[in-house]
Amino acid sequence: MTVLLGFYVLIWPALTLGVLILICRAVMRDRRQAKKEHREMV
Amino acid sequence: MNSEPLYQFSIWTVIALLLAFYGGTYLLTLGISKKKNDADAFMVSNHRIGFGIGAASMTATWIWAASFYAAATSGYKYGISGPIHYGLWGALMILFIYPFGKRFRKLAPNAATLGELIHARHGSSSQLILAISNVMGSIISLMVNFTAAGALVSVLSPMSFQAGVIIAGVGVLMYTLWSGFRASVMTDFAQLVALMAIAVVIIPAVFFSMGGPTELVAGMDNLTSEQTNFFSSKAILEQGAPFFVAVLAYAIGNQTISQRLFAVNEDHIKPTFLTATVGYGAIVIGLGMIGLMALTLGIEPMNGDMNNLIPQMVSGYLPPVFIGLFFILVIGSLSSTADSDLSALSAIMMADVYGKNIAKDNPNPKTMLVVGRLTMVVATMAAIIFASFSLDILVMLVFVGALWGAIVFPVIASCFWSRVTNRAFTTSVVVAMIMFCLARFELLPLDGGFGLMFELLASIGGGIIITLMVFGFLGRAAGAVAGVLAFIAMLVFATGFLREYTVLLASLTAYGTSTLVCVVMSLMSKEVPFDFDLIRERVGDYNEHSDEAPSLATDTADEAPAAGAAGQPAAQS
Repeated sequence: MTVLLGFYVLIWPALTLGVLILICRAVMRDRRQAKKEHREMV
Repeated sequence: MNSEPLYQFSIWTVIALLLAFYGGTYLLTLGISKKKNDADAFMVSNHRIGFGIGAASMTATWIWAASFYAAATSGYKYGISGPIHYGLWGALMILFIYPFGKRFRKLAPNAATLGELIHARHGSSSQLILAISNVMGSIISLMVNFTAAGALVSVLSPMSFQAGVIIAGVGVLMYTLWSGFRASVMTDFAQLVALMAIAVVIIPAVFFSMGGPTELVAGMDNLTSEQTNFFSSKAILEQGAPFFVAVLAYAIGNQTISQRLFAVNEDHIKPTFLTATVGYGAIVIGLGMIGLMALTLGIEPMNGDMNNLIPQMVSGYLPPVFIGLFFILVIGSLSSTADSDLSALSAIMMADVYGKNIAKDNPNPKTMLVVGRLTMVVATMAAIIFASFSLDILVMLVFVGALWGAIVFPVIASCFWSRVTNRAFTTSVVVAMIMFCLARFELLPLDGGFGLMFELLASIGGGIIITLMVFGFLGRAAGAVAGVLAFIAMLVFATGFLREYTVLLASLTAYGTSTLVCVVMSLMSKEVPFDFDLIRERVGDYNEHSDEAPSLATDTADEAPAAGAAGQPAAQS
């Protein structure tokens, strides 16, 4: 029960961290792509 | 800890934090090229926003200050399943719209608002119904976000509520006014990074400071049997089900979502919205867990106000630096939503009101920009005034929610079924609103024959929600089967029972009525079926992209029809 509840609470910040890394990497890629095409990201 | 007052910042510390946040955000927008600030860029950037920025912007926009407070309240009230019943359904609002978003984009690749698409499909009356629902939603959202800023500032410092409202309003307007949507998406990324990084730190920090999993398990004795049950029917019926019903309505009725559907690179719509779904769910459910922690510790919300739960927990268990981080977390979340609302409102006034109804499809792009910026100023002032007076917006919220529910079927059906007519669209929404009011305010007795009639309409509403959700992902046949099964299940379980839950009954009645009226009137109509290719022709760009990079011009030329005079479709010029 202790492990299960601990997991239940902590899985969300872990998922948040995963999405944060994914988005940051994708933005870097967007930035490189935009530079290559001589346009702005937005 | 129950009687401990919240930690207080000095006025100067709060001013420094707000200056750092809004000043930093403003500096970010200085990097956006001013020479490309044309009407289309102001509304939807270049229709080629990448996956990263798009996902960040969608997530940041959908998370507002109320998300944290409401998720924590849900955790506190309903126990273990509470945060899920808030965050999961909110996340699914993003997920379930993307299959329809792909269709919207295919029909009208150059659109900036969903209203433009509906105008091309039906004409002004249907478009204005959608535009009005969007405008009301965004004004309410702006007001709620500024109110949250005022409340936060007044709770954590000696500064007044009104000062907090004004600083937030002016701060958001300052960095959004010049570049509109482009500034919104650019700053959304920075705000989301801060928001996520803080959430990643704060949730475990509070959890381990309060004693970790052992203390959480020990505190389970403080919970009722419903609160310890992950499948609590109370939580489902009072929190989950009304939210589930609203999944499609919020997404269709909210221009901030359609603006991003039209702005993101068409190939990236799916990954963008999937990522935003997971991101939103993780942050909001995670922060909702703080409400569950408070419940297990037996903490009472200060002054009986549930919105004080998270500040109380952070203030009670963490050092001042974390309270500063929490402050930035809330300011970041409310600002990212407020700037998106300003961009959404300006796009609606530029395209739906000025472009389609005042300039009659022949707008001046420069005038459009003036309209957009004026809209932002007026909307900010109105929201600051409404928020400062702490107006009771419950009735307004009820009506907007009903209107969004009533338009879901007509909007989606209009994009897939060629027989839906303008009259069917408009009449179905009006009749659905009347039926909603009759049920919601119990203007007719909800027992006997009337009760049965509303439950039948609500069952149709339940069936159509499931139909649309399944149809979006799996197609017509699967949607129809799922819808019929849901309708039968609703008939069996809701009859004689749903009338006890007026809010749910009225919301489902709005869906069911608009569907029924729209379908019957469309089937009875003798109008020639609509040619969907006309939408693409009728929704043009508002600017001639003579200054675009050659590669972009080539890319768009393959897909989009050439625009005629500014804002006028080629077919009509």
